[in-house]
Amino acid sequence: MITKRISRIGYIAAAAALSASISLPARAATPDTALVMAWNIDAISTFDPAQIGEVVTSELMQNTCDSLVDFDPKDESKALPLLAKSWDVSEDRKQITFHLNTGLKFPGGAPATAKELAWSMQRVVLLGYGNAATLTEYGFAKDNVKERITATDDNTLVLKLDNPYPTNLILQAIGANRVSALLDQKTLISKEINGDMGNKYLATNTACVGPYKLVQWNSGESIVLQANEDYYGAKPKLKRILIRHVAEPGTQRLLLTQGDIDIARDLSPDDLADLDGKPGLKVERVLKPQLFFWTFNAADPIFKNEKVRLAMRYLIDYDGLAKSVMTYLGVPRASFAQLGATGALDAKEGQPFKLDIDKAKALLTEAGYPDGFEANVLIGTLPHSAPIAQSIQQNASKIGVKLNLERMANAQLFARIRGREFQTGMLAWQTGVPDAHGNASRLVYNPDNRPEAKLTQIPAWRSAYQNEGFNNRVKAALLEGDSTKRNELYYALQKDVMQQGPMAIMFQMYNTVGMSGKVKDWTWNGFRVYYNLVSK
Amino acid sequence: MTDPTFPVSRSDAGNVARQNPAFAVLSILGRTLLPVFVTLFGLAALTFFIGRMLPIDPVASILGDNATQEAYEKMSRALGMDKPLWYQFGVYVKGILSFDFGDALTTGKPVMEDIARVFPATIELATLAIVIGTGLGIPAGVLSAMYRNSWLDNAIRFTGLIGYSAPNFWLGLMGLVLFYATLGWIGGPGRIDFIHEFDLEPVTGFHLIDSALAGNWEIFRNVFGHIILPASILGFGALAYISRMTRSFMIEQLAQEYIVTARVKGLSWARTVWVHAFRNVAVQVLTVVALSYAFLLEGAVLTETVFAWPGFGRYLTNALLVGDMNAVVGCSLLVGVIFVTLNLICDLLYRVFDPRTR
Repeated sequence: MITKRISRIGYIAAAAALSASISLPARAATPDTALVMAWNIDAISTFDPAQIGEVVTSELMQNTCDSLVDFDPKDESKALPLLAKSWDVSEDRKQITFHLNTGLKFPGGAPATAKELAWSMQRVVLLGYGNAATLTEYGFAKDNVKERITATDDNTLVLKLDNPYPTNLILQAIGANRVSALLDQKTLISKEINGDMGNKYLATNTACVGPYKLVQWNSGESIVLQANEDYYGAKPKLKRILIRHVAEPGTQRLLLTQGDIDIARDLSPDDLADLDGKPGLKVERVLKPQLFFWTFNAADPIFKNEKVRLAMRYLIDYDGLAKSVMTYLGVPRASFAQLGATGALDAKEGQPFKLDIDKAKALLTEAGYPDGFEANVLIGTLPHSAPIAQSIQQNASKIGVKLNLERMANAQLFARIRGREFQTGMLAWQTGVPDAHGNASRLVYNPDNRPEAKLTQIPAWRSAYQNEGFNNRVKAALLEGDSTKRNELYYALQKDVMQQGPMAIMFQMYNTVGMSGKVKDWTWNGFRVYYNLVSK
Repeated sequence: MTDPTFPVSRSDAGNVARQNPAFAVLSILGRTLLPVFVTLFGLAALTFFIGRMLPIDPVASILGDNATQEAYEKMSRALGMDKPLWYQFGVYVKGILSFDFGDALTTGKPVMEDIARVFPATIELATLAIVIGTGLGIPAGVLSAMYRNSWLDNAIRFTGLIGYSAPNFWLGLMGLVLFYATLGWIGGPGRIDFIHEFDLEPVTGFHLIDSALAGNWEIFRNVFGHIILPASILGFGALAYISRMTRSFMIEQLAQEYIVTARVKGLSWARTVWVHAFRNVAVQVLTVVALSYAFLLEGAVLTETVFAWPGFGRYLTNALLVGDMNAVVGCSLLVGVIFVTLNLICDLLYRVFDPRTR
């Protein structure tokens, strides 16, 4: 009786299962006129070029808001015309005059001129968000910016500098950090709230000149960019860029292999290794200006000793890690100047270290720690942090150095490091310019080492490290007019900092994508992706 | 049926009620709502102070690694973080009383607006999941109890055990690999195919309802194809819990003497079980279902992540990770309200179903 009843139930269940699985519509391939990307876009919180500091929005802005100058896709250290068709530099190198393209228009057709551009650039300094540093570093300040950035007519913009900085460095800085995006002044002023110059409005909108415009943004869900019909330059090849928020790498991989997306932006190294070479798929990577390093607190009684810091560098298995954990993540790099930057040592000279336990032991003995010591290593949630830290921990244990790994949320890690509340810690740092000065000014230069100076944006200060000699060399290299001599100064500085500096730089990181074979001309360098050149 | 030995406070209320019905309603409302407000206030205070004591720096999270100390202090002032804690809490409570939970740091929008955006996605998923979980879980639990220790009971319990112990994200990924990637029966991650995403006019925020309202059945099918797998997986977890609890309630009832009496009187097995025994456990089962539903409404962060589901769980977790306390406290209060409301509804339904509580 039971069996009979049960079999009846079984039939019902089977029928229910069948009806539930009646075939659903077949999936369509991605449209030919659009690029569909899966990406973790959680970090987007504003589209105000003056405020943005994170990579996802930066990339979107670079494709919706043209800068005065662009990076050469093939060589990021070279500046190319963009909003400006040309520029002249005064003899004393303290004034740059930009000649803008004619016929610039905001989406919708209103004319865009040098006057709006001058206002937009002044706005960055006046608002004083993180990006303001790009300009204040070169002498622009709230009280002088209106005189130093001016439009002499509709097509001419003049920048006055306080020192004869290398022109290329200035061009790189204003190209990289979104400070020369041309914003629609009229719209922003009409949307102003409490003198915010349109900051609140730009939290959910864009208002600038670029090959694409933002037409839809559902926070944490999706973004749609559409080709701007009023664009002055070459029309983008694809009409729309569709970005869907997908946080989980495994899910991105499934979407890619199923053909529901063209590009997956956050694949794990395992996925990349697995997909690389599969028919119909491609994996591409490019070095980005991000360094992953192990930083030491020079105020700590152990790590104030230069020899101890040097010994730690010999505990890092650069080659072993590069061939395992880091294959798709980065390349070994010990110099503060990233590959691709003006003034950077080449790959070989920029990474002279290798795992050498005996040497580390000898250095520790010289430093007065023949039997080792015990220290903490703070790590965040970057997937490669733990394996790298564990590898070093193992090597260290061989010479009596006991490293305790302490893992925490990234926000907590930043707070600890910025507050100098650490012995050692591992984190990443990304510079804003393809020039050795970018990192020299942050990872080496420290103008004021007092705790109360609170120069928290300077990693060298966070490490409580100050070296007057290095400080002077950073300043001298910055203003050296002869480019060959300038490079020489940086080469020498990098070699010395690698031996003495407050952080053991370990890897320069890659940007990676997995993409469908249909995508052509995916063009990028360490500083931007060129959506307008992509085709299918 | 009225029990003359009802608790004193109730009979007091009864006396008052007899004197003035309006007063009675107020008194019942007061008795019900006061603890609710105390609970919610306690929850807000606890979450707020724990949040402020966490070693996470929300200012650094917003401004990023590169910000100058000047920008840092400016933002800190803008967030009111330079003021003493009690003052910050006072400002916060004042905001809550006018339904202003402040702006979320991560999205720059008011927390209420964010919740209104992410919550429908979770409600839709949770509701379908609880329908699946209850629709299958209760019959499974009853059958299990009826055929205790038979192979059917074992099969149901074994399946339940899997639902109980297998991690949702793993089931989710495996489900996607099988039904989406291999068989192609269902839509992939996300609430809807990207090409349809902007064809759907949001009215209620529930994609199934919105597409049905628009009469666009192609989109309805598409949305259904996307929601069915995550809902089934969450429903599977609920099913495991509901069937287990139903089974144990039913076993207890089926051992009662009135069951034997009913059978002796010649009632069919099915009628005895469903009409007599099940009715007696319905209230307990209802509590279990309501609790499961409340847990589902909290948002299942791992399932939401695997299925790229823009829901409440993921929003709350992200907010927590960057120390976005406005969003965290706002979400915690919402979760509190959900639990309290479902409890209240359960209480009311108890009165409907169980004459002894009237």
